[in-house]
Amino acid sequence: MSESSVAIARPTGAVGTRGPLRRLWLRNALQGWGFILPNFVGFALLTMVPVVTLFYYAFTSWNAFGKAKFTGVENFVRMWNDGSFWTALWNTVYYTAFHIPLTLVVSLGLALLLNRRIRGLAFFRTAAFFPYITSIVAIAVVWNTLFSPDYGPINQFLRAIGIDNPPGWTASATWSMPAVIIVGTWREMGYYMLLFLAGLQTVPRELYEAARVDGANRWQQFWGVTLPMLRPTTFFVTVMLTIGSFKVFDLILVMTEGGPGQSTLVLSQYIYQKGFYENDFGYASAVSIVLFAICIAVTVIQFLYNKRKDA
Amino acid sequence: MMAVVAEAPDIDLAAVLDGPPRDHNRSRVSLVGRILLYVVLVIAAALVLLPFYWMVASSLKTNNEVFTVPVQWWPSVPQWENYVTIWVKSDMLTWLKNTLFLSVVVTALQVFTGSFAAYGFSKTRFPGRDVLFLAYIGTIAVPWQSYMIPQFILFSKLGLSNTLWSIVALQAFGAFGVFLMKQYFDTIPEELSEAARLDGLSEFGIYRRIMMPLSVPAIASLTLLMFVTTWNDFLGPLVYLRSPDLWTIQLGLRTFISQYNAEYALIMTGSVLSVLPILIVFLLGQRYFLEGIATSGMKG
Amino acid sequence: MRRFPLMMATAAVTFALALSSCGGGESSGDGSEATGTLTLAGWSLASTPEFQTLADAFNATDPKYKVEVKEYQDGNNYDTQMVADLAAGTAPDIYVQKNLKNFYTYQDGEQLLDVSDVATELSDETGGLDAYEVDGKTWAIPYRQDAWVIFYNKDLFAKAGVAEPDGTWTWDDYVTAAEQLTAALGADGAQGAYQHSWQSVVQGFALAQTPGADLLSGDFSYLTPYYERSLALADAGAMPDYGTVTTNKLTYQAQFGKQKAALLPMGTWYIATLIAQQASGDADAFEWGIAPAPQYDESTTGTDNVPVTFADPTGLGINPALDEDKVQTAKDFLAFAAGPDGAKAMAGIGITPALTSDDVVDTFFATDGAPTDELSKFAFSTHEVKPENPVSEHTAAIQNLLNETHSAILSKSVTVDEGIADAEQRAQDEVLNK
Repeated sequence: MSESSVAIARPTGAVGTRGPLRRLWLRNALQGWGFILPNFVGFALLTMVPVVTLFYYAFTSWNAFGKAKFTGVENFVRMWNDGSFWTALWNTVYYTAFHIPLTLVVSLGLALLLNRRIRGLAFFRTAAFFPYITSIVAIAVVWNTLFSPDYGPINQFLRAIGIDNPPGWTASATWSMPAVIIVGTWREMGYYMLLFLAGLQTVPRELYEAARVDGANRWQQFWGVTLPMLRPTTFFVTVMLTIGSFKVFDLILVMTEGGPGQSTLVLSQYIYQKGFYENDFGYASAVSIVLFAICIAVTVIQFLYNKRKDA
Repeated sequence: MMAVVAEAPDIDLAAVLDGPPRDHNRSRVSLVGRILLYVVLVIAAALVLLPFYWMVASSLKTNNEVFTVPVQWWPSVPQWENYVTIWVKSDMLTWLKNTLFLSVVVTALQVFTGSFAAYGFSKTRFPGRDVLFLAYIGTIAVPWQSYMIPQFILFSKLGLSNTLWSIVALQAFGAFGVFLMKQYFDTIPEELSEAARLDGLSEFGIYRRIMMPLSVPAIASLTLLMFVTTWNDFLGPLVYLRSPDLWTIQLGLRTFISQYNAEYALIMTGSVLSVLPILIVFLLGQRYFLEGIATSGMKG
Repeated sequence: MRRFPLMMATAAVTFALALSSCGGGESSGDGSEATGTLTLAGWSLASTPEFQTLADAFNATDPKYKVEVKEYQDGNNYDTQMVADLAAGTAPDIYVQKNLKNFYTYQDGEQLLDVSDVATELSDETGGLDAYEVDGKTWAIPYRQDAWVIFYNKDLFAKAGVAEPDGTWTWDDYVTAAEQLTAALGADGAQGAYQHSWQSVVQGFALAQTPGADLLSGDFSYLTPYYERSLALADAGAMPDYGTVTTNKLTYQAQFGKQKAALLPMGTWYIATLIAQQASGDADAFEWGIAPAPQYDESTTGTDNVPVTFADPTGLGINPALDEDKVQTAKDFLAFAAGPDGAKAMAGIGITPALTSDDVVDTFFATDGAPTDELSKFAFSTHEVKPENPVSEHTAAIQNLLNETHSAILSKSVTVDEGIADAEQRAQDEVLNK
């Protein structure tokens, strides 16, 4: 593989006969696989195999012990008529729809702000990343305290500026989801900021200089240089954020446990409930498949959109 | 407290607000803007650090003082001995050792195999590449809780469960690193590779001599994120590690919770201690995100 | 299918052992050499000594196999780990049934050995034994049977000048006392009562005490008066409301131990904790006692009656994958744990054993720091304890949806009637007729 330094140039399709093209094709494939293989061996055996079995269990009734009983599409029919499933799905979409854009904007903003040489840079970057490394229990306690309907500082502030009936936040079915979205964004902004920071390092300074010579202001530079150059990173962040939002689990567990009522019950939690509380792993697998299908559909759309822009 | 690496001299933060130089008043405006911006930044930082502060305060309380109404921001009598008790009463040293081992091995494997595979996905072309890549991303989209049991059965058959290697196997080959590195390689202009090929460099040579040095910021963020994820992982070790001498810090801290009770103050003490190593890694790693270090010598 | 090779191996080993022991003749008779170990699941051993205590006490009887405790992380995640271990065939030989909700999982999943022969040998006074009966056979043996009672702070009652509980209380008496206490103690920042956020605090009593109440009937109207009382208490300021309890993650140990509440409905497991916390200074020093749970009506009140309360027993079950020649020792261990010796060992460390004979009660109350009054002893030893989770296929699912109803009602997201009507509808649609 190592001697193939020149012939690697992509098959342009315009020149050459069938034979050399075919050999080139084979060599490319071998080379690609050569790089992918070390990771792929571990990945395929340790992750892909169990994931594939999930697709089988989704069509069975299985209690984790012994053999699964094949039941066809029964689980999916049951899901269609299961009110709690629809509630969980709706809540998941609700969370996702707000959490993704909010986190994107905040983390990109932070990355831009903290990508310059300022005094105390290390401190501010560390501070922004801190929510992600602070114990999630501490986060739940402090935010719940801030949100506390009667004594919390947030509501005291709202009352002070003239709002007589401030929201009940995590203690109310209407406001619990917005509260969780706020905390989710706050917690993850530093994580995605880090990814954006890495991406920002690839934007060549020369481009900014050229834009400045052309008379572009900061705002125009951002739209004309930063965003386009950052697209691969933005794509990565968007996909990870989408999947992460659809799968949100532990944050909600410590903040509200899905309550009050079912107001913050999300699909991941529903899957865990059905599997480990009710020992209904067949049904839990079926719900997972649906969650998986939604994630993949959204990802493929993002993938295709990204490809088109690439071309 | 943490302003260790802040040595950068030229403060052009204000430029964010007022754009490129235009008139004589600039320095005055930018001074006001600069001060304003710092005030905002400092307040924001204080808010962001509040839960951590609460953690520290709680680590100095007695168990029954941790959760109260109204919230108690400082213990009535600070229990400094909690920081001694935790070492005496529990096996913190073993937990830290295991966690460190896992974090380092997982991160190293993920960075190495991930970036290697990413080169294959980014810089070589072969049929089925995109589909394979989607399969990688696809597995991220499956909630782990749902295939945990089949995977556990598989790992047990491979003789991995109840060894630290189970966690390595679980985390090291994930799609995250592949995806991250691939996106980063995508931003590196193809012309660089072409030029290197003309100079007679092999594909592996290009990966090692060109891609890796140019990807320092991406490797830094992958390292940091993997390190933190592994360090703070709870569910993975919970399912796979049984023997007390294999426990990680997150598992160990749960032993302060019994069925009906919990030693909350000690849990917070342990949590504070467990943040410190991450802090060190972060402070070391974040230096690699300085504008321009990666792009020197590159033309867009 | 997955366990097939393992079972084959087990069978082969058993067969080989059977052959070899044929030749060995009498040699198994002298018990001096322990021939191996049995593993017992336990969790958080440092803070939960009961498993090691049982194992040590049993090992002192010189059994054929020594019992060794295998530690799991913590009580909250024990069942997740156990399900995984059983599924992969790596579970210990004897494992704890933490509550009845999960017991059904294991029993229905054929992960428990029939131990009916152990059950028939046990005393009739063993609490919670019936709960483990499915299809006429017993699948686990209770060694511990907590019960919900009322903890009260004698000092605060005296200060407020309110009459202490005397065993005659109905829930209305409890509400009245809590309100009187609040009125008298409010200035000091204490409240009459503290009810923790768990669904058990409301639903457990309602299900156990209301005549004719049945979790599986899908008719939850029996919950109504219990919710109305809880809401009224919170509205009157006689206890923290649900939102305050959950958003501030209040703990009952701090609320009662730091004298912020004079009355606390809680399980008997709290006795040992309270004694320990008073000794360590984590809880304030004050006089306290326990009283029977307030009753549905006067037909079961008074110390000449048997008050009705609830709690799930904690039991031990045997993993069916166990080598056949070890089964007898495992059963001996179960019998020991549930018998008088095991009970005394439990009482000695402040655990409420399933068998509460007189000398067990004496052992229990001999602990330093335990209350000494007669009512506390009565409350501890005399009651009809009904299971919180009556064993059935649908119990876990119904309890989960009732847990959601619980938070919806107490957070006032819905009215009591709306919440219960919705729960009844969902029970029909999603569980009973799914």
